[in-house]
Amino acid sequence: MSDFVDRQRRLLLGAALSGVAAAPFALAGHALAQAAPSGGPARASSSKRLEPLRHVDAGVLNIAYYEEGPATGPAVILLHGFPYDINCYVDVAPQLAAQGCRVIVPYLRGFSETRFRDAATLRSGEQAALGADVIALIDALGIKRAVFAGLNWGGRGASVAAALWPDRCRGLATVNSYLIQDISRAMVPIAPEDEAALWYEYYFQIERGRAGLAANRRGIARMLWEEWSPDWDFDDATFERAAAAHDNPDFVDVVIHSYRHRFGLADGDPHYADLQRRLAALPAITVPAITLDGDADGILPASDGSASAAKFSGRRVHRVVPGAGHNVPQEKPEAFAAAVMELIKS
Amino acid sequence: MTGKAFAQGGSAAPARAPSSRRLEPLRHVDAGVLNIAWYEEGPATGPVVMLLHGFPYDIHSYVDVAPQLAAQGCRVIVPYLRGYGPTRFRDPATPRSGEQAAIGADLMALMDALGIRRAVFAGYDWGGRAACIGAALWPERCIGLVCVNSYLIQDIARAMVPAKPEREVPLWYQYYFQIERGRAGLAANRRGIAKLLWEQWSPNWDFDEACFERTALSHDNPDYVDVVIHSYRHRFGLAEGDPQYADIQRRLAALPAISVPAVTLDGEADGVAPATDGNASAARFTDRRAHRVIPRAGHNLPQEAPEAFVAAVMELVKA
Repeated sequence: MSDFVDRQRRLLLGAALSGVAAAPFALAGHALAQAAPSGGPARASSSKRLEPLRHVDAGVLNIAYYEEGPATGPAVILLHGFPYDINCYVDVAPQLAAQGCRVIVPYLRGFSETRFRDAATLRSGEQAALGADVIALIDALGIKRAVFAGLNWGGRGASVAAALWPDRCRGLATVNSYLIQDISRAMVPIAPEDEAALWYEYYFQIERGRAGLAANRRGIARMLWEEWSPDWDFDDATFERAAAAHDNPDFVDVVIHSYRHRFGLADGDPHYADLQRRLAALPAITVPAITLDGDADGILPASDGSASAAKFSGRRVHRVVPGAGHNVPQEKPEAFAAAVMELIKS
Repeated sequence: MTGKAFAQGGSAAPARAPSSRRLEPLRHVDAGVLNIAWYEEGPATGPVVMLLHGFPYDIHSYVDVAPQLAAQGCRVIVPYLRGYGPTRFRDPATPRSGEQAAIGADLMALMDALGIRRAVFAGYDWGGRAACIGAALWPERCIGLVCVNSYLIQDIARAMVPAKPEREVPLWYQYYFQIERGRAGLAANRRGIAKLLWEQWSPNWDFDEACFERTALSHDNPDYVDVVIHSYRHRFGLAEGDPQYADIQRRLAALPAISVPAVTLDGEADGVAPATDGNASAARFTDRRAHRVIPRAGHNLPQEAPEAFVAAVMELVKA
């Protein structure tokens, strides 16, 4: 543990790369090389991208992903959300790689260069599909077990995969705790203020919302970033780096299907019917888990984690991350990386 | 002069009726498919002004406007719309439609029932829409139109054309109401939703709890949820209209012009329908039309800035 703390301290200080020479791989952490300005931790510049991308056939998809770190290291799958992209891990990925992890950061279905292999496959955004994609990816890469970590859709994909394939999961790190949707209760209203924050989900229920997303995907994404992360001072380049991933030809279909399916208002892909049936039972997470809430999250307000406690039957630690909004890995990468490393070391 | 609002000498700010004041007593009349509850004030022989409220409000949007107009000689009629307050459907089998043609037809039915030949139609939100429809389709019954947010007849054929994201966000409730969760939410939280909308739409309006509750009571009407949900689905073309209004709706689909004199008002701080210079709707007004932006006012303009609303009505009465 002291080694971990020491490394963490060095990273925070932007220490010379030679200081972590014990790691059996070249430290790719561009972000780390930048000295931290005036006390804050260093951050990758908005011009840095997680690249090059690799591509692999995995189930119904050809998945584009970024990889960093030693091939023999413990694998960590970092899963992004909506309306973000893999660059929400632009600081997390090198920090984990620097600590010996093999980091895999895939583009979800409908994002960037990830493609459906068959034009006839339903452009489903349902939760079962997101979980199945994680397993298909690690199968394709020959990875037996990994830490699944994510936020938003990615946290859901991670939760689904951890719940249904615990033998493939070393541990789960999610933002906003247990994210498997209880579609049977999707028609139960919540407090008006919280419903208002879900405006985009209701908008997407009708064809005007589909047309609006197609026409204004950047405008909608930017508004959601601002609403969900009120304290995050991202610049245009940072936004555009992610928004470019939404130009995927399947983005609109997958997003609209995702938000309709979760309300029971779109049929699922029959291919995932068995998985969805199992998810409808709200299966427990049996693997070790760390759940994080951003204390400034504008869409899912921070909680003490107790409401979802019964859904975690293994070890589970819950933390509220100060100053973080919804996009915790990009806003507070140290907190996210620390959660993953705790799961790796446990 | 019954204008209590005027009688109370304040320093700079105009006086306002206290939140305990209600527009009462109410009267009731069978009018078309409804039995309409309404408030009346002013001389029976005066020029008639129909004051039409919106969602999620009630007749107390006119709590200051009504006495000011009455004091200036108008006969003021302030009805509860279908689904609000003590207004009731006469037949349980009548569809609880909230479509635009229905609220326009209700206005005509009320005037017929009261034997009123011509009146100024004045309103905002749903009430402004009813006023526009009455003025457009029955100009011979209309002395003039006062409307917040200009031309309000819905172009349902274009309802699926998206607006800019920042304009879609304030419409969250309209999208919410498209699905059954929204219906359940409105039924369970009608006060919570109304209050949130009041706050979002009128950021400068410092209403108190009693003022809100005075109005929110009118949303306990047994038809409120059905009428509201139908209204917000129909305007997107996602609910069928009541066949008895099909002819009227067909005429409205052509976006008929307003051929009577009109004064249109926008609240400078309106949080749901932002203030404009009125130009975009200019072609819809073929007679005299004045457009004004009222400083600091939000969406509930007659309650927030009653003097400006009264002045607009009186200009039409005197013209």
